[in-house]
Amino acid sequence: MLQTAFNGLVTGIIVALPALAVTLLFGVLKFANFAVGAMMTVAAYMVYALNTELDWPMLPATVAAAVAFGFMCILMDLVTFKPLRERGGLTLMVASLGLGFVLENVARLAYGNAARSYAMDLARPFRFMDIRMNREQMIAFVVATLAMAVMYVLLTRMPIGRAMRAVADNPALAQVRGIDSAAIIRWTWFIAGMLLAVGGVLIGMDRAIEPPMGASYLIPVFAAAILGGLGSPLGAFVGALLIGIVSEMATLVIPPNYRIGIPLLVIAAILIFRPQGLFGQAHIRR
Amino acid sequence: MIEFIVLMGIVVCFSGILALALNFQWGLGGMVNFGLAGFYALGAYSCALLMLKGGFNTFFAALGAMVIVGAVCGLVAFVTLRVTEEDYFAIVTLGVGEMLRLVALNEDWLTKGALGLTGIPRPLGATIPPTSYPYFMLALSIALVIACLWALNRLSRSPFGRVVRAVREDDVVAATLGKNVLWARVRIFAIGGVLIGLAGSLHAFYYQYIDPTQFSTIVIAYAFMAVIAGGRGAHLGTVLGAAVVMLLLEGSRFAKELVPLEADQLAAVRIIIIGVGLILLLIYRPHGFLREYRLQATLKEERPEPQPNTPKEAAT
Repeated sequence: MLQTAFNGLVTGIIVALPALAVTLLFGVLKFANFAVGAMMTVAAYMVYALNTELDWPMLPATVAAAVAFGFMCILMDLVTFKPLRERGGLTLMVASLGLGFVLENVARLAYGNAARSYAMDLARPFRFMDIRMNREQMIAFVVATLAMAVMYVLLTRMPIGRAMRAVADNPALAQVRGIDSAAIIRWTWFIAGMLLAVGGVLIGMDRAIEPPMGASYLIPVFAAAILGGLGSPLGAFVGALLIGIVSEMATLVIPPNYRIGIPLLVIAAILIFRPQGLFGQAHIRR
Repeated sequence: MIEFIVLMGIVVCFSGILALALNFQWGLGGMVNFGLAGFYALGAYSCALLMLKGGFNTFFAALGAMVIVGAVCGLVAFVTLRVTEEDYFAIVTLGVGEMLRLVALNEDWLTKGALGLTGIPRPLGATIPPTSYPYFMLALSIALVIACLWALNRLSRSPFGRVVRAVREDDVVAATLGKNVLWARVRIFAIGGVLIGLAGSLHAFYYQYIDPTQFSTIVIAYAFMAVIAGGRGAHLGTVLGAAVVMLLLEGSRFAKELVPLEADQLAAVRIIIIGVGLILLLIYRPHGFLREYRLQATLKEERPEPQPNTPKEAAT
């Protein structure tokens, strides 16, 4: 019972990273990016290449890949989403679907369908109060918590984070106040890319590295972002923890094959009872 | 060779109906369906199971599949009860589609899981000799595509069609004008679902064997590609788009001798090409290849509207 809750907590905190990326991108760019799953996959494979083919240790490999992937996201935005920016969320969403297909299958083309794992030596699970935690879980826990803390400082204390929130809140007003929205968009992609890269690596460590790995997290990630209220960073974090714990606990009652149904039910419930999410503000369109 | 062309024609037909369904939901109604593959699977499995386990004949099984998928789609649209933003709806459809695929994969007692269902009967399969059956199937499929096109053209030019487009363009304005947006959305999605059920049934009849791998993301990729290429909202354009996409996809089988790639890799390359094509079309050809057709059609049909002798219009 406690063990399941702990596993759920770890899953949740991993999901928090991409959920935060989704919510930041949605806040600034106003569309739901369905390519985030495939983006995590590509980043995970980048680290895999550095780790197993160039024999880099995990930490520098992850840092290097995260920075590189941040720049790649800026590039992808330039090529795919920038020309479509004025066409509305629906078109951008379909474009992100297409981008997701491309990214996932580039990974498949390069490494095939076989599941892979990082070159890390096995370690003994650690026991604490009858809870078994393996090293991957602890790394995930520490890294994700650290990343969320950095994001919190960035969004609340740093000028760039404040500017991002300003653009998310009211783009026109932000522009009037002299905020360069093009630069903010680039920064948002860069930060989202780093979050997705770290998320992808943690998922790869926790499960396995395979082409559909990222896409299989799409529903929990979006459920977390919607539960927290799309556009609310704190909401995404809390939402992710809740989704992780609830779906893991639910496997005690429902067959694990249908685990994905829990986040789906959560989304349906929010849409019916509290469409603005836990932390979002109800707003009237136009 | 002629045999191959006939078989290709059948595939193009039922893919065309699937693309028409997406075109109605997304192109005309503005409701993105990312769970298309799952609903398609639901159609094929419903039709097959109604025949194999329910003892229905082919006609009623296909009809049943259409009703089932239509009802499920309507129910999904109903979840958007209070929110009208497309982002939420897209993720719900994605999730439902995934759930449907999981049911097909895991409920062995019903769907035989990964093994799939075999020996699916087909319409008049006993009376028509196997050698000439493809020709019958092609004729049937073409007739169904034409029937769908006719029905959709009628529907999109009816008052309901105008409501559909109004909801797509601006649901707030539509609601302000007294249109019931939720009910319109439920109907849009359900009608699309009925077509998906028909396409799924034809899929089951054609292959006579279905398993979960036939309903993977490539179905979604190609259907979106067909709708975008054909021009969103243009029914005939969508069928042509589906034909072009399917011919390219199936034609790439012949590329196997030219490029030294494994089957997995070839499949990956296909999806990459579709994904890139999708983005390029969205950027450079947002109205699809049949833009002119569509413009003329809308002009012709909207010109008589402001005539004074239409008091009925206000009543609808």
